[in-house]
Amino acid sequence: MRYASIVASVILSALALLGNLGVAEAQSDCKTLVKASPFGPDDQVGATNRITPAVTKAAAAEIQTGAVIPMAFNLVDGVPLFGTRFTKTILTSASLVPGGEYGKNKLTYMEDTYLSQSHVGTHIDGMGHIGIMDCYYNQTPMGKFVTQNSIKKLGLENLKTFATRGVIIDMVKVFQDAGKLKTNPACRTPCLDGGTVITEADIQAGLKMYNVTLREGDAVFLHTGWGDLFTQFPAQNATYNKAEPGIGKTAAQWLADQKVVLVGTDTWAVEVIPSEDAMEAFPVHALLLTDNGIHIVENVRTDLIAAEAASSKRASFFLSMTVPKAMGTTGTFINIEAIR
Amino acid sequence: MPGTGFAECNRAPALHMKRRHFLLAILAVASSARAANEEVRRFRVAFANLNEELATSIEGLGFSGVEIRRSFELASRSLPLDMMYYDNGGDAEKALVNAADAVSRKVDLLIEYNSDTAANAEIGRQLKTAGIPVLAINHAIPGAPLYTADHLAAGRIAGQTLGQFAKQNWSDRTPVVVILGDVADPSPSVAARIQGVTEGLRQELPNVPPILLDSAGHSVRAEGVLAKFLGTQTRRKVLVATLDDASALAAKSAVETAGRTSDCVIVSQGASRIVHGGASEKKEIDPANRGSIILGSVAYYFDRYGYEVLPIAMQMLRGEQVPAQTRTNHVLISARNVFREYPPYDMN
Repeated sequence: MRYASIVASVILSALALLGNLGVAEAQSDCKTLVKASPFGPDDQVGATNRITPAVTKAAAAEIQTGAVIPMAFNLVDGVPLFGTRFTKTILTSASLVPGGEYGKNKLTYMEDTYLSQSHVGTHIDGMGHIGIMDCYYNQTPMGKFVTQNSIKKLGLENLKTFATRGVIIDMVKVFQDAGKLKTNPACRTPCLDGGTVITEADIQAGLKMYNVTLREGDAVFLHTGWGDLFTQFPAQNATYNKAEPGIGKTAAQWLADQKVVLVGTDTWAVEVIPSEDAMEAFPVHALLLTDNGIHIVENVRTDLIAAEAASSKRASFFLSMTVPKAMGTTGTFINIEAIR
Repeated sequence: MPGTGFAECNRAPALHMKRRHFLLAILAVASSARAANEEVRRFRVAFANLNEELATSIEGLGFSGVEIRRSFELASRSLPLDMMYYDNGGDAEKALVNAADAVSRKVDLLIEYNSDTAANAEIGRQLKTAGIPVLAINHAIPGAPLYTADHLAAGRIAGQTLGQFAKQNWSDRTPVVVILGDVADPSPSVAARIQGVTEGLRQELPNVPPILLDSAGHSVRAEGVLAKFLGTQTRRKVLVATLDDASALAAKSAVETAGRTSDCVIVSQGASRIVHGGASEKKEIDPANRGSIILGSVAYYFDRYGYEVLPIAMQMLRGEQVPAQTRTNHVLISARNVFREYPPYDMN
């Protein structure tokens, strides 16, 4: 009996060890594929951890005139989207029908039903949006946390505030000044052409133009002029979606090294399309979101704030942007404003 | 005195060492300056393209010359190259004129894609005289390294794929095999593709020689020819190797019209954009269409030539040795790997 129990315990131990090895292997896969978060093994917040009260207070100093510059496009049927994606609203307005009013004060009401993909119009990519295989931000094995309807980790509800300093970098001016602007004929105003790689040097030139230095917790926006095609919807949707100027991997890494919390552009993917390496899919998305928890904001209206920066020679502003606490979602359309 | 001598002897090496350090420092500065120069050195490279007429299918595989040129534009973005582009227009005389122009502009290297053997020999001679290195694409130029598609290997992949499918799924039947497309095209590349399919099939199904069905390069004709053939093979399983993707789609249509989708499978050559696309395009070869009777298409990557060829050009410009011949690594593109081989970017 004793011998049998020893054998049994040895077998059980071996099985337990094998089981542990299996778990260890699964975890080590994500550790190989994705960087660990600097904010700890349980972090689901990402780069917004960097927006501390001190960062927000310092950003508040950017508000000097109170002028508010819109930085989002109207979300309306017909804007550039891919494939069968759509954004529609259905209006409930039954009480406006004569006789449908409520009470003797004849109150009426309306509300909307949104039928929309979340990554439409000016929108934020959450950390549940992009991974390498099933490994997402902070080495999260996302396969364990997905259901048919939502994600159980890394949803937008985890994000902290975006009350921080915004910095606009005018890439059109940088390329014009460098004499290398190759525009697209469909753009009505100067734009960088699709496929143009924005490098670290270009970004630094843009910062130098307005004598601004990035600091931890900043939200960075790049004006490429490509957004002019967005405003021409639906006529230029195909051109807008076919390619885009954007940052390459080295520029993305440089921005990550500056510990920014967000990168936004007036394009649909922030990064250069086609990619520098034809065999890679959205490498900048993976670098910013998956490896660094830095959010990506797409289809940003940058022309107004770029013009404002050019006229005032000041590229920084207080960022007004909030993200709904939509649990378990990977992204959402948002509104952005620059407060000066 | 001996002491002095000793001292001098000691001092002399010290001075010598200082001089040596000084010289080494100068050398280091000079070499770092040279390295810096090398880092910023840009090269002028000309690419003379086969034919940029949109109606022209490059090597009969469904790609346009514009796609090839675009791949060079994209691949050169991250390289220290100032590119110049020529369109040979499928014309040997024009290719000679373009090469002469590249010589007059003193380019650092010419990438030549021209199918005329005699013109290529003359271009090779002229460039050699001018001391300008040449890199040939798909058609050899004497003395120049060659980047080329491997039609034989690509054909083998198709033949093996069809044969393996038959062995796995129709092991109790002897299928009939057809090669459909512009089989009468006299170009060596088409002959190599046919030979490759035949060899690949023979590896899997030794006793099933393929039947050639000639479409004369027209997809409508391809559909008709196959439809007629299927009518003669009502009880047979049919393996179809097409020589291009347009023929594959035509073949699929013929099979569907004949109600024979459970009897036929197709493997194609080219993997052009007409059979695959982005995440939202839902084309024939797509992860969402795993049940297609088009099992796949062998990739030739004409739309990536720039990414393949320019690194070789860079090696040549740096004075490094390059292989006499570099061949495309052909891969079967199927629903399983299409988005790995061609990452889609139509999503946001």
